[in-house]
Amino acid sequence: MKMKLLCGILLAVLLIAPPAGSQVRYEEIVQGPGANWLTYHGDYKGWRYSRLKQITHDNVARLVPKWTYHVEGANRLETTPLVFDGVMYVTNTNEVDALDARTGRRIWQYRDDQSSQQSVNRGVAVLGDRVYFLTGDVHLVALQRNTGAVLWHKQYAPADKAYSATLAPLALKDRVIVGVAGGDSGIRGFVAALSASTGEELWRFWTIPARGETGAETWNGFPAEYGGGATWMTGTYDPNLNLIYWPTGNPWPDLYDQERHGDNLYTCSVVAIDADTGKLKWYFQFTPHDTHDWDAQSTPVLVDLDFQGRRRKLLLHPNRNGFFYVLDRTNGQFLHATPFVKKLNWATGVDAKGRPIEVPDMEPTPAGKKVCPSMVGAANWMSPSFDPETGLLYVPVLEQCDLYTRSDSAPDPMKELMGTGSAQIPSEPGQFFLRALDPKTGALRWEYPMTGPVTMSAGAVSTAGGLVFFGDDDGQLVALNAQTGKHLWHYFMGQTLTASPITFSVDGKQYVCIASATDIFAFGLFEPAVPFPLVETSEQPLP
Amino acid sequence: MLTPLSIKIVDKPGKDEGGRGIKALLFLLVTLPGLWAPAKAQENNQMQNGVMNPREMNPDTIAAGQKLFTAACSGCHGAHAEGGRGPNLADGTLVRRKDAQHLFGSIRRGVPGTDMPPFNLPDAQIWQMLVYIYSLSTPAAESRVPGDAEAGKATFIGKGNCAHCHMILGRGGFLGPDLSNIGMSRSWNQLRQALLDSNSRSTSGYQGVTVITAAGPPITGIVKYRTNYSVGVQDAGGNLHLLPMHDVRELLFRKGSLMPDDYPRRLTPGEIDDVVAFLSRQSVRPIKIPGAPASPSRNPQ
Repeated sequence: MKMKLLCGILLAVLLIAPPAGSQVRYEEIVQGPGANWLTYHGDYKGWRYSRLKQITHDNVARLVPKWTYHVEGANRLETTPLVFDGVMYVTNTNEVDALDARTGRRIWQYRDDQSSQQSVNRGVAVLGDRVYFLTGDVHLVALQRNTGAVLWHKQYAPADKAYSATLAPLALKDRVIVGVAGGDSGIRGFVAALSASTGEELWRFWTIPARGETGAETWNGFPAEYGGGATWMTGTYDPNLNLIYWPTGNPWPDLYDQERHGDNLYTCSVVAIDADTGKLKWYFQFTPHDTHDWDAQSTPVLVDLDFQGRRRKLLLHPNRNGFFYVLDRTNGQFLHATPFVKKLNWATGVDAKGRPIEVPDMEPTPAGKKVCPSMVGAANWMSPSFDPETGLLYVPVLEQCDLYTRSDSAPDPMKELMGTGSAQIPSEPGQFFLRALDPKTGALRWEYPMTGPVTMSAGAVSTAGGLVFFGDDDGQLVALNAQTGKHLWHYFMGQTLTASPITFSVDGKQYVCIASATDIFAFGLFEPAVPFPLVETSEQPLP
Repeated sequence: MLTPLSIKIVDKPGKDEGGRGIKALLFLLVTLPGLWAPAKAQENNQMQNGVMNPREMNPDTIAAGQKLFTAACSGCHGAHAEGGRGPNLADGTLVRRKDAQHLFGSIRRGVPGTDMPPFNLPDAQIWQMLVYIYSLSTPAAESRVPGDAEAGKATFIGKGNCAHCHMILGRGGFLGPDLSNIGMSRSWNQLRQALLDSNSRSTSGYQGVTVITAAGPPITGIVKYRTNYSVGVQDAGGNLHLLPMHDVRELLFRKGSLMPDDYPRRLTPGEIDDVVAFLSRQSVRPIKIPGAPASPSRNPQ
């Protein structure tokens, strides 16, 4: 009997056949997180909201660590884990690990030791039987989801021209949407769609118009190839409108603006792109002619709400520049903006079209200029979360001013920008908060202060259990009552947090999970230990 | 018949060591005439103007170089060149940093200011040692290798039946490691050893197993991980089975690698060279010029 079974191992091997296992379906990604967490933001809308409700405000006090997976060599994990069918996919620099989501044990690892760039990485995309991720030197890699076997590599921008890649790609229908980092070294940013089956480029939208194209007049002759407008964060997608909403980075050089006169489109903007054609449908620029490195990288959150008397398709966006924006996402019409930080001195408000009403002389100077918000921004890429039950948008917020300085002369493209930057003002330390905003008005409903060293990049996740989880700058995962903001639970991981939490379920058990700097932590409700009798094992020679 | 000889190492030339001159005695194994013959033939092919290409792989040269290395170098650099009193020569750091001529000079003349003595050996023997050292770390894809890669591809798929278990860029089976980038992750010698010597193959992540489950049919495949509390198995169809041990009655492991151990008999030496040449070409990105180190990210946005 045993020998028969053992013989079976060499028989019935399928050659060149896809695994029979279940497939990640686009329709399930559209539905949003249940047991699985299938895309960077959880869903295409950028909500980071899960309908799981096994863990509630009544039992979250019994939340305990279930496992910890150490990522060898990691020192700054920014990965959002994805989970499908009990398997979790996490990333580090040029590396993907597939874990048993019940136990945290590694099933396979893919490492690309030949990558020429050692960039941070924010996670994978999954679709069908594949895992997609980006190497630091800008290759889209397709891996067989169950085994980690490479299907193809496709480089879509040259790493030796200062491009790199850090974001989690966005897989939808038959394509994978990607962006690029490197905006502070003088690249020309773009969003591209690559075929999910072959990696072939289907379209590319440049965030900096070429000479003669619409928008080029906002640069006054500055060379487009150095204009910046990086696309280093994963965008969102409306399947009904078939529009991709992608945030864009700052113009280059960031703090030195003496040669790039004009609004510098499409930097510091959100661009709405047709998913089929890559054509620009509309754009909205939050910070024209930015001089403070205020990328628009916070998630464009897509919600449908009654706004001023009628149901509207909205786009919510807390910006690094300190204003919270509400746009009509069908056409980009500006609807509302309000400050969501108290420390804001560069503008007095926005006009009827959403353009900031700027205070004069707030540009960086060689001697230094105090400007609020700080260069990190009032918000940044730390993920916000929208809870449809409470109707609140939870945003990690930084209250801080910086001293901004710029160099006397123009920096060289493709090199690190030197001589410009910002510094914290020692006598005025900043502070992080988790703030719950009314999505229509931006009004503050409640806030929860953080007490750490004001360095972190962690975001939030909300659940149907009435909870919002977030990482703080003290290295803690914290659970609050989503309605009231009252503290319910926390756990100290002992490290700086630079990733956002998720929740998932396997075998009927809900977990909450977050990457710390070096490890993946998974939490679940306390259960008494069950003894495991040792299983009988034997070793047989080959037949 | 191997004859141990004692060789007196002279003070390093051209440098006054101020009394710190290193005098060392070492035992050098003089190679057999039989080893010399192929090495001489090599010389004709590989040596031009007294310079050999140390990335040109040949099993006889590597074997000769290894013998010399064991006798002359392993005392300081470790039995497998892993380092000790002298630096690691196996990880490629030194090989990438210095060109072959420079390393040749370091062996011939020693390295002033360090414990590395000069070795007054024939040029051919120094080059043999260098070929061995390069063979430890140079990716097969960056080596000049014997054999016909196109013929090797046919053997890989056909007579060798390798694609039955190994996948290359999505084509092939699920039970063996993916080989899509194997030319960059292994040296030529490692690839060859893996084919010829079943003891050189790690079973980690690929050990055969049949899981007798508590309820349900048995599962046969390879062990992706196993603890006393849970096990992860991938079957021949590429499906994963992740089981708590409460669901497992018995684990029947397969001893050794699942890879057949009869390739030295099943394939001719020429066919083995061809398959290794084919595998040496497997790299997911264009093959880089050796010596260009990866640059750290300048802009970790």
